Amino acid sequence: MRASQKSPSRRYFLKSVGATLSLPTLHSLLPDTLGAGSALAATISDASTPNRMVAVANLLGFQLPYLFPETPGKNYESTRLLKSLEGLREDYTLYRGLDHGVKGGHFAVHAFMSGVLSIDAKGRPDGNISLDQLAAESAAGRTRFPSLTIGSESGIHGGCQLSWTRSGVRVPPIPGPKELFERLFVGEPVSQLLQVKDKHALQGSILDAIRGDAKTLQKRIDQEDRDKLDEYLTSVREVEQQLQLKEQWVDVPKPEAPFDQPKNKNMVEDLPLLYDLMVLALQTDSTRIATLEIGGDFEPKHLGLEKGYHTLSHHGKKQENIDQLLVLEDYQIQQFARFLEKLKSIPDGEGTLLDHTSVLFGSGMSNANSHSNSNLPVILAGGGFEHGEFKDVPMERHKVPLCNLYLSVLNRFGVERENFGTSTGTFA
Amino acid sequence: MKIQVSAIALLALGGSVFAEDKEPKAKVAMDFVANYCFECHDDLTQEGERSFYDLEFPITDLKGLIAVQEIIDALNLGDMPPKKADQPDDKERLAAVEALTAQVADVYAGLKSTGGQTVLRRINEREYLNTLEDLFARRIDTFAPTRNFPPDQTDEHVDTIGDVLVTSGFLLDNYFHAADQVVEKSLGQIEKPELKEWAFKDSFMPGREMSFSHKAVFKNRYLCVYEVMNSSNHEGGYGGINEFKEGVHADGFYEVKVFAQPMHRDSHYDTDILKMDLSEPYRLGIVTGNGSIGELHHPQPIEPQLAEVTLKDGKPQWYTMKVWLEKGQQPRFTFPNGMANCRQAFGKIAKEYQNDWPDDDKHDGSIVHARRIVLKYGKMPHIRISEVKLRGPLYDEWPPESQRIVFGENGFQKENSKMILTEFAQRAFRRPVKPAEMKQFIDLVDARTSAGHSPRQATLDAIKGILCAPSFLYLNEAAAEQKGLLNAHDLASRLSYFLSGTMPDDELTKLADTGRILNRKVLLQQVDRLLDDERSEAFFDGFLDSWLNLRALGDQPPDRGVSGEYFYDDLEAAMKEEVKHFTRNLVETNGAITDFLKSDYVFVNYPLAELYGIQDQFPNDDRYTFQKVSLTDSNRGGLLGMAAVHTVSANGIETSPVVRGIYILENVLGSPPPKPPDEVPELEPDTRGATTVRDQLLKHREIKTCAACHVSIDPPGFALENFDPIGRWRSKYPDHRGRAGQGAKIDASGETTDGTPFAGPTEFKGYLMKRKDVFTRHLAERLLTYGTGRRVEALDRLSVDQVVKATKADDYGLRTMIREVVVSDYFLSR
Repeated sequence: MRASQKSPSRRYFLKSVGATLSLPTLHSLLPDTLGAGSALAATISDASTPNRMVAVANLLGFQLPYLFPETPGKNYESTRLLKSLEGLREDYTLYRGLDHGVKGGHFAVHAFMSGVLSIDAKGRPDGNISLDQLAAESAAGRTRFPSLTIGSESGIHGGCQLSWTRSGVRVPPIPGPKELFERLFVGEPVSQLLQVKDKHALQGSILDAIRGDAKTLQKRIDQEDRDKLDEYLTSVREVEQQLQLKEQWVDVPKPEAPFDQPKNKNMVEDLPLLYDLMVLALQTDSTRIATLEIGGDFEPKHLGLEKGYHTLSHHGKKQENIDQLLVLEDYQIQQFARFLEKLKSIPDGEGTLLDHTSVLFGSGMSNANSHSNSNLPVILAGGGFEHGEFKDVPMERHKVPLCNLYLSVLNRFGVERENFGTSTGTFA
Repeated sequence: MKIQVSAIALLALGGSVFAEDKEPKAKVAMDFVANYCFECHDDLTQEGERSFYDLEFPITDLKGLIAVQEIIDALNLGDMPPKKADQPDDKERLAAVEALTAQVADVYAGLKSTGGQTVLRRINEREYLNTLEDLFARRIDTFAPTRNFPPDQTDEHVDTIGDVLVTSGFLLDNYFHAADQVVEKSLGQIEKPELKEWAFKDSFMPGREMSFSHKAVFKNRYLCVYEVMNSSNHEGGYGGINEFKEGVHADGFYEVKVFAQPMHRDSHYDTDILKMDLSEPYRLGIVTGNGSIGELHHPQPIEPQLAEVTLKDGKPQWYTMKVWLEKGQQPRFTFPNGMANCRQAFGKIAKEYQNDWPDDDKHDGSIVHARRIVLKYGKMPHIRISEVKLRGPLYDEWPPESQRIVFGENGFQKENSKMILTEFAQRAFRRPVKPAEMKQFIDLVDARTSAGHSPRQATLDAIKGILCAPSFLYLNEAAAEQKGLLNAHDLASRLSYFLSGTMPDDELTKLADTGRILNRKVLLQQVDRLLDDERSEAFFDGFLDSWLNLRALGDQPPDRGVSGEYFYDDLEAAMKEEVKHFTRNLVETNGAITDFLKSDYVFVNYPLAELYGIQDQFPNDDRYTFQKVSLTDSNRGGLLGMAAVHTVSANGIETSPVVRGIYILENVLGSPPPKPPDEVPELEPDTRGATTVRDQLLKHREIKTCAACHVSIDPPGFALENFDPIGRWRSKYPDHRGRAGQGAKIDASGETTDGTPFAGPTEFKGYLMKRKDVFTRHLAERLLTYGTGRRVEALDRLSVDQVVKATKADDYGLRTMIREVVVSDYFLSR
């Protein structure tokens, strides 16, 4: 077959940069750059090793018959798609039977990390906030970036759309390694820093002015409209808080870049690099939360395959299509495995970076051929959870909502909550 | 458990499919639950940890909703009541499911009610952009200040609904950055920028794929464009100047002179390989490019089309165009009617035309070699550019219009700062502004001056503040003084955003200032004026996207192998344009809206005529202009014959009668079916050919509870099965290998809910014509919803009735309907 001959994975594997770098974490930089008594320093320098969270998902799912083993429990047999994770057996758990009970095919993929369809968000106390954004709320200000969402707008219905804020707005993704690198490492020159500070001052003055305008407006409108205006005022407060944090971070230099700024190529070739940059982001404590969307710009042609990803996903049970899908899914899992290995190789506190990072991997689509959103492919790695198992969760009675797993992940991250999305308890 | 008739339940009437006789429905549901569920799920036993004892019908809250949905699921699956218990008969079961489903629909409608008035509505992204263009009298799509905005929320595809359009900190932060960018670009330049000239010749480095062959064959002397922009490989669709990565130094109009030649229009290559029409003269386009954000031969996030010329055959000639460029941009040349995919064409031609290549240079099978020999010895159609001259920015007047419209004819004068701000705020807020309202913005000027900024800069900063203020971002309709009616300025705004998609123009503002807009006759004159104005384009785009969900066209792209023309003929745009032309024609002629259901004509350009198989009737003087073409085939015509409808209701790869059926019920008949029960698995397409979707569906309908909804969903879907995923007519399905016309024969027959049998689309349209009043009501409701930013509720019945009645009385004229919508109480009220 054409696809396997090219062995693209090996090619790209070798090309990717930045083996584990020994960078100092931001923690150790802080006392030099900030006054010891600064509020920011106080906020950031936790005594304990911080918890992190990473989520990775694709748009069109995985071929479940090639992912799930037959035997549940610790002694499960490896499968075609699990091959590259074999060396990490004790570091992850594979789940079968978890989902959100939502429907809508492509229109429901965006609920993967929230458990709630965006159209159902209204009236819910937390809307359809996704777990990364909920975690980010609690971590805001501790790192330069509360969270990083990486991915693209392209693909069916705007891509994976994994991250959602509590007001039902999607967090737009950082499109590629070039932009991600810029965020992480490219510091602004002094003249620009002054400009940035002036921009902050301007934004501060504008916030005062628009709050004043909101007050005059209140007199003009009805009570019903005032409730809506409250949403605006909440937004003003949100921006204000962020502004305070941004102002503080201006004086902290960004970590030094370990390599030159990359150019964007395509999602297939960029995938290893994006993972590397995510490792660096966590390692330098630039953020503690990262989300990666593998969306419509992951094009099979860059793996030497002929058909489009979406076309292939409607495989019509034809083996030749399924084989091609397996090539690209295999590639995605290989890169994921490589990411886990990197996290595992980096010491962090008492253990490794992987021990302190809950890594979620999967998709909001289980079987793209039938556009099903039930029985989703889900892997949880690291985070200090007990692993090494294939957990077969009952799909009919005593069903466990996927949000239960998310709640456990959130609790581990340090978010003290008793519910999330459609959870009925915790589960891991 | 008790029957309760509450005010909430009555309010919730609107929007429900089962709105009629709601009390009996609630009773049916309640009786069924009492008779068949209580034995186990009562207060005492609570079998399965469920008790339905506390359920109150009609259901009004989420707790009841969850319980009712569980009951529906159990009934649909036949899980409940358990075998050992009393069994309802099929009729009872069906009635119960229907009654319970009605309960669910009512609760949803109740949750969505906004109490019969528009909730403070944020202008959506497209309205925001249009408004900024008007405020600063300049083009802004060339720098797309809203590119990082989160997408607006919609409700049943409508993008103007006040309570649904949310604001977040993230969005507000984006408003700040957009305002900063727009104001600096429009007003920030104090001195007239220096006029510069550039000339490029002899060295044009192509993108990396073409670099070897261009160097070998042309010594890089030419800039060549081969294919359309949305080719699947991006190797030759954009002629960017890699020697000019830094782009121009200032915003403004630039003169672009290009020495260009159409190459090989007489090429003997198979047009099936080239996938282009050599009989047409080549067109040369210009889009923007930015060397700092990515490869110039790849698509970029911002690349609006700036100009286009048709090239004359023969020797190279100079062509001059005037285009707007932003600082850092450069013009990139395109070939809108070029090849579909030059990489594929190079490969195939090198292989197919071996005889054309010299003996010592036969094709070796590699694509690199293919490009070289085809360019060197062959006749590959392309546009060849050998010189580009650029001069600008060209400003006839300084300060430019964007500054004069804000600062006045003489430009910024610091003593005018306050007046400038007040006048700007009046325009931005679309109403008179009291001096007290200006205080916070004057304070902003002071804050910025004390921070060391010039009076001019401080004024600019205050303008940015105005653009982030709620008075600008929201259509803040004043609390009603009498009978809930809008005041003059708020009405002018509503009308303007409805029919022009932007802020009121000078004439509307004047009529609002004098209050004359409140006069019915004046208002109707304005409706006509705005509909006839070219800015009504925004209405057609916005409304058709909202009504027919046309903005989703292309979300699920077709397969490039099966439907290549969708990409290289830009059918996506053409399909949308067809619906627009059709609708615009009805507005212009006050034609009957029943033409949407059935018509003996279409509006098509040539590629679309080809898709429809009516290219022979196309008056072939201009391939790209839309022409009205009479139909002989009654299967086309009306919405149900339009490719846009077929495509947006398919997934690009295959069709589903269920999805299309729901689309027709929702958007044409205005009676969306209830949501599918959660527990029923979705149909899995089986393209191996063993069963057709029709067989699967008929099987599905053997289950009585499924049949309840599918008898109305499936028929319209069946009727459209002859149209493939992009709207081509087909009489057979593709076979198991995806080959068109080789599979099972298509049966587009069915039976409508009222028992009328139909054989295919033509007869089904006859059925729709019988239901034209249902359609009329639905279209009226969509226009009212779109125009006011709120959903139709039970109490709006009277307004809707009046619009429907007046429209019918005037032979169903669309312009009449729009006029009636505007003068309805619904539209005139908050």
